[in-house]
Amino acid sequence: MDTFWFLYRKLLINRVKIAVRKPVTYVYLALLLFYFFVLPASLRLMVEQFGIGSPEGFAGVLTVLAIWLIPANLIAYAKRKGLMYRNSDVHFLFPAPVGPKQVLLYAYLKTLFVQVIMNLFAIVCGFRMFHVEGWRLAVYFLFSIFAENLLEGGIMVLLYGSEKLGERQRRVVVAVAYALAAVLVLMGIAAYLQGGLRLGTVAAFLHSDRIQMVPLVGWYIGVVHLLFTEATAANVAGTVCYLLLLAGVVAAAWRMKCTGAYYEDAVKFAEDYEEVLESRRQGNVQKRLGRKQKFGKAHVRWRGKGAAALFYRQLLEYKKNRFFLFDFHTVISLLIGAGLAYLYAREGGFGFMEGYKAFVMPVVSAYLIFVFNAFNGKWGKELASPYTYLIPDSPFRKLMGATMMQHVQSLVNGCLLILPGAVAMEIGTLCTVLSIVFYVELSANKLYALAVAEAVTGSTLGTMGRQMFHMLFHSIAIFVAVMGAMAGMLTGTVLTALVLMDVFLALITIVFLVIAMLNFYHMEAVR
Amino acid sequence: MLEVVNLTKKYGKTLAADGIGFTVPDGKIGILLGPNGAGKSTVIKSIAGLLRYQGSIRIQGLDAGTVEAKKCFAYVPELPYMYEALTVREHIEFIVRAYGREGWEEEARALFDRFELTDKQYKLGNELSKGMMQKVSICCALIIRPKVILLDEPMVGLDPAAIKELKTMLLELRDEGCTVLISTHMLEMVKELWDVTFVMNKGHILGTYVKEALGDEDLEELYFTVTGQAEQSS
Repeated sequence: MDTFWFLYRKLLINRVKIAVRKPVTYVYLALLLFYFFVLPASLRLMVEQFGIGSPEGFAGVLTVLAIWLIPANLIAYAKRKGLMYRNSDVHFLFPAPVGPKQVLLYAYLKTLFVQVIMNLFAIVCGFRMFHVEGWRLAVYFLFSIFAENLLEGGIMVLLYGSEKLGERQRRVVVAVAYALAAVLVLMGIAAYLQGGLRLGTVAAFLHSDRIQMVPLVGWYIGVVHLLFTEATAANVAGTVCYLLLLAGVVAAAWRMKCTGAYYEDAVKFAEDYEEVLESRRQGNVQKRLGRKQKFGKAHVRWRGKGAAALFYRQLLEYKKNRFFLFDFHTVISLLIGAGLAYLYAREGGFGFMEGYKAFVMPVVSAYLIFVFNAFNGKWGKELASPYTYLIPDSPFRKLMGATMMQHVQSLVNGCLLILPGAVAMEIGTLCTVLSIVFYVELSANKLYALAVAEAVTGSTLGTMGRQMFHMLFHSIAIFVAVMGAMAGMLTGTVLTALVLMDVFLALITIVFLVIAMLNFYHMEAVR
Repeated sequence: MLEVVNLTKKYGKTLAADGIGFTVPDGKIGILLGPNGAGKSTVIKSIAGLLRYQGSIRIQGLDAGTVEAKKCFAYVPELPYMYEALTVREHIEFIVRAYGREGWEEEARALFDRFELTDKQYKLGNELSKGMMQKVSICCALIIRPKVILLDEPMVGLDPAAIKELKTMLLELRDEGCTVLISTHMLEMVKELWDVTFVMNKGHILGTYVKEALGDEDLEELYFTVTGQAEQSS
């Protein structure tokens, strides 16, 4: 294991060293800390409102997670998925004289760091939201890090590494995992039919003895209940079964012969994974792991010439996509928009902040665009392509041709994000339109800020420098927009503030646009 | 010695390798030649243990899947993939740990010098050009002092100086008794290296040619005659 420890340790240390040099890391770290400490505190009210702020409630939440995750993991391992291998592992690790079982465990343990973080988060939640005693949480932490990983790792070795399980047997294991999930769902439906859709029914179902009799998932739930609620015959029996299963699985995994026949599937996974990563780097977020991206047949009527070709090529690419312009961001926008509308309706207003409700949607938009909108997207791909620079046309037309589809996309996403909230808050048509304009402007600003960062850094500061300047320029634009809003509030109404916010943002975006256009005169930025 | 016996590999209904068999003795350089889609990569990946197959592959008389066989076997894939967060030197350090080699520092220094990597040894994997990655990949293969080495299109991406150095090293390895198998479709690159050539097409070995037995015959002409590509191109 010395080899794997060396690899694991070096990769972790070097990644941390690389990360501390990236400005974006600090943004994500701040967000992580925010979620880590603020989220449990803010969710505490909701938990108490539902009356589940007790150790039983914590056991209930862990039960839901178990029902969701354990069958999913079983299915993944039986299909020889769920372990992340990279092409570098295929190159160096697979042909090396190391045990194939150790290679499996190495891939499994890659997730250990994240697991520890998630478990610590669970501990914080358990302590602050569910008022669980410290010693119980400490036992749970040790159990989840050691026992859970031993059992899951053992099952993983038995399923993923087995050379006796043929395709048919693997399908049987998958069917059994689905059956386990189906049994739990049927129990839930039966509970609903008996007790109706009430919180009490859900709680009774999650804490019921019969759920703890379902093999594997139920036994884990038994352990959780023994830890966080009082001992019952069912949860003690479940815990004993869990420990027996753990011992049996570890012994079987230890003895099982594994010569590396799974490498072929792992190689395929690594190739697929790298392909997805590369697609994401090039701005294609529609490619999914293990699924060959399907492109439909489509055609466009190519009109115009020169830079118009960029627009029609992008249009053709989008038309061949299964969901056209719509992607993950579209779904997120719709969900957040609907969620905000629901929260506003449920709370009946924002209290003392009610007078500023017209700014809620622009603030949420700014947060989402600044943090989550991809750095590159199709625009980044255009910037990296020499053809964009070589096309014989004016810089303005090139810029428009290369970004028009992304403006349309941000208009769609902006409408989906803002309209539900705007309707619920009754902020008026003009404010709604101004909020959507803000979203589109800010998205455009982020696009052009990338080109400005490219122009400033050239090929001298590398990706990190480019990212840093990109974030800096985009932050300046947001600051200018905020100044506009403040100026508007000082001199007039909320409407004036929104108008000035959009005008100020438009002005700085035009400045970025001009710099981005000038960037097309040289190709230094092409990577 | 590398022995491939009756190697058969199917992808679904497609037969990529159909009863392939050949032997490369100790101290010889074997060339696996063939057009695109001939099945060379399938054979290479099977030998490297990356595919399930029917038949048998033996390295120095040992089943290729065993840890003992892997200890004396090195593989240079067609496309090098580095660990993005490991430096060049850490790649070597990782490999010597995996293969249980000790006292490697001096040898690593010599390899870095020969492949002009001395000033790059603290660069991370994601900071290297494709050619540099290929050089690191070759160094990682050579540092273990293999008895059998497998190289898949090793010259692709290398600069002329590195190609010359690699050829010299392969001849040195041969002279030290190492078995070398190179898969390529670039005849020009291996003309002065080969001892035995296996011409493949459509999952079969079409011909085996030993240099001493070939006399004045030109390998290139033989290749085109055997694969039928001469008629196609004319």
